[in-house]
Amino acid sequence: MKLLARYNRVTLVTTIIVMLITGIIYYQAISLILTRQVDKDLIVEENEILDYAKLNHQLPQVFESNDQQISFQEVKPGSVQREFINTLYKKSEERKHRRRHEEYESGRGLVTSVSVGDKYYRVLIAESTVETEDLIKIIFGITIAVILLLLLTLFITNRLIVSRLWQPFYNLLKELRLFNVVDNKDIPQIDTTIEEFKELNQAMTSMSSRVKSDYKDLKTFTENASHELLTPIAVINSKLDTLLQTDNFNLQQSKLLNDLYTAVSRLTRLNQSLLLLVKIENHLLEDNQLINLRSVIEELIIQFEEIFQDKGLKISSELADKVFNTSPYLIDVLLNNLLSNAIRHNYPGGEIRITLVNEKLSIQNTGDNTPLQNENLFKRFHKSSSSEGNGLGLTISRQICDNLGYTLEYDFSNGLHTFTVLF
Amino acid sequence: MKILIIEDEQGLRESIEEYFTEAGNVCETAASYTEAMAKVNVYRYDCILLDITLPGGTGIEILKNVKQNNYPDGVLIISAKNSLDDRLEGLDLGADDYLVKPFHLSELRARVMAIIRRKSFSGNNLLLFNELTIDLLAKSVKVNNQPVKLTRKEYALLLYFIANKGKVVSKNAIAEHLWGDGIDMANNFDFIYSHIKNLRKKLMEAGSHDYIQAAYGMGYKFTDQ
Repeated sequence: MKLLARYNRVTLVTTIIVMLITGIIYYQAISLILTRQVDKDLIVEENEILDYAKLNHQLPQVFESNDQQISFQEVKPGSVQREFINTLYKKSEERKHRRRHEEYESGRGLVTSVSVGDKYYRVLIAESTVETEDLIKIIFGITIAVILLLLLTLFITNRLIVSRLWQPFYNLLKELRLFNVVDNKDIPQIDTTIEEFKELNQAMTSMSSRVKSDYKDLKTFTENASHELLTPIAVINSKLDTLLQTDNFNLQQSKLLNDLYTAVSRLTRLNQSLLLLVKIENHLLEDNQLINLRSVIEELIIQFEEIFQDKGLKISSELADKVFNTSPYLIDVLLNNLLSNAIRHNYPGGEIRITLVNEKLSIQNTGDNTPLQNENLFKRFHKSSSSEGNGLGLTISRQICDNLGYTLEYDFSNGLHTFTVLF
Repeated sequence: MKILIIEDEQGLRESIEEYFTEAGNVCETAASYTEAMAKVNVYRYDCILLDITLPGGTGIEILKNVKQNNYPDGVLIISAKNSLDDRLEGLDLGADDYLVKPFHLSELRARVMAIIRRKSFSGNNLLLFNELTIDLLAKSVKVNNQPVKLTRKEYALLLYFIANKGKVVSKNAIAEHLWGDGIDMANNFDFIYSHIKNLRKKLMEAGSHDYIQAAYGMGYKFTDQ
């Protein structure tokens, strides 16, 4: 849920609840005040009747009036208790046009008693409250209208202003998404006057520069470490070559020497791969030339011919002409890695298919009948337990593709592992 | 032939010196910039093996000095710096080749021999070894004037062997020479065996002696002894 929607929902609900409560209180207060007003009128009338009865010792004459009706009823003495009641009010002739079908309308009455001589009367003074109710209805209507108007304003304000207020946040978010630890672009200063966003921006900028400098340090370390390793490896290598020239090894010694050679050669390759990775990341290998990918691949197939034969692999290729202006060295490393993988993870008598069309190159190979785990595939030093590689081949391939602006994808179907380079 | 090895790493310098020293070869060494400059400016060499990072200066300066004075020496840069700029700078300045550490001594020797051949046999493209005649331009091989049809890799292999004659060349070195760095898929280099067998068979069928000997299961030796 978006912050804005959440915020809107909360404000709307609280506004409605608060407005309803105030509306009810408002209604109650007004009707209370108005009823009191009516009650006061009734008391005035009561006093008039009582005074009249006291003075004249008879009941006053009752006239038909618009807003008050008075009735007397002789009852047993002491049986009437004085009270205000909500009652019905018989409509007067002039008012009959309002709600014609109703004979009565709501009213407020005062029940009281009066003694005239030895007679005891129950007196009902009733007054119509229709006008009071009308007033309350109007007030209530206005209140509801105000609530609705307020809600609408709130809604529109939130929509327009709040989303504009959040704009710097979205801009920052966009920058954060574009953030790449490898490139040189920093997170820019966002144009905003809001303190919170300014702080966020500053925190992001300092974080990104810190991450970048850490990353750079790490890279420099990798480069330096690999570099420093080169010389001792070179010495070991040359000493092994020299040792080989001394005569007469027995079987055990030559087996040991062989293992040493293999280990050193793996170490060399691992080291070179690490250095290569750093160089690709630093864009140090961009010697662009026009090359035809088709002839590069054809050359490579010839180059690997004996290895295909040795493993009994069947290779088929469908190649179209595709001319690039790109780094031949990187392309060479990329193709070499992908093809080496296709050979290494194949079984004897398996198959390799290379397809080059204008927009993509795909290299397919038979192998294990289970797809590779996609998410770890391009991670450094991730490799299957059976692999003889150094776990950097696909990382390098991915890095090269990223650098050249291509996409490298993996797919598994019908028993074929497919690596596709999309140009 | 006369070779100058400019390399500050003692272990490497000694190995190279030992590998190149044999009857008819003179190897000299220099471990620092000043020592190297002194030798380069006084003596002439068929090939100078030049390390880039040296105490007291850089190999690039030495290379510039050689080229400014129009010394005819061949120059092979051996460097741990595999960055493209260094490589291009070195070759632009007139170095004949560039080899990245670590390398096999046999590979170094093959490169050096190629440089020396280019320098000294100008106009003459024939490489002779007993009854073998190799035309470097046409990339063809004859045994007692009988042409032998070799594949591209067999031809490269033969040249590699001749450059390293009398030396045991490891299978790793051969594989890397023929298939490049990409060849990391095989812990067992069995297919090299069949390759060498083919070359040997072709040469012997054409009447050549058997020069290729297997050496303790680790490599091969090309020798006429």
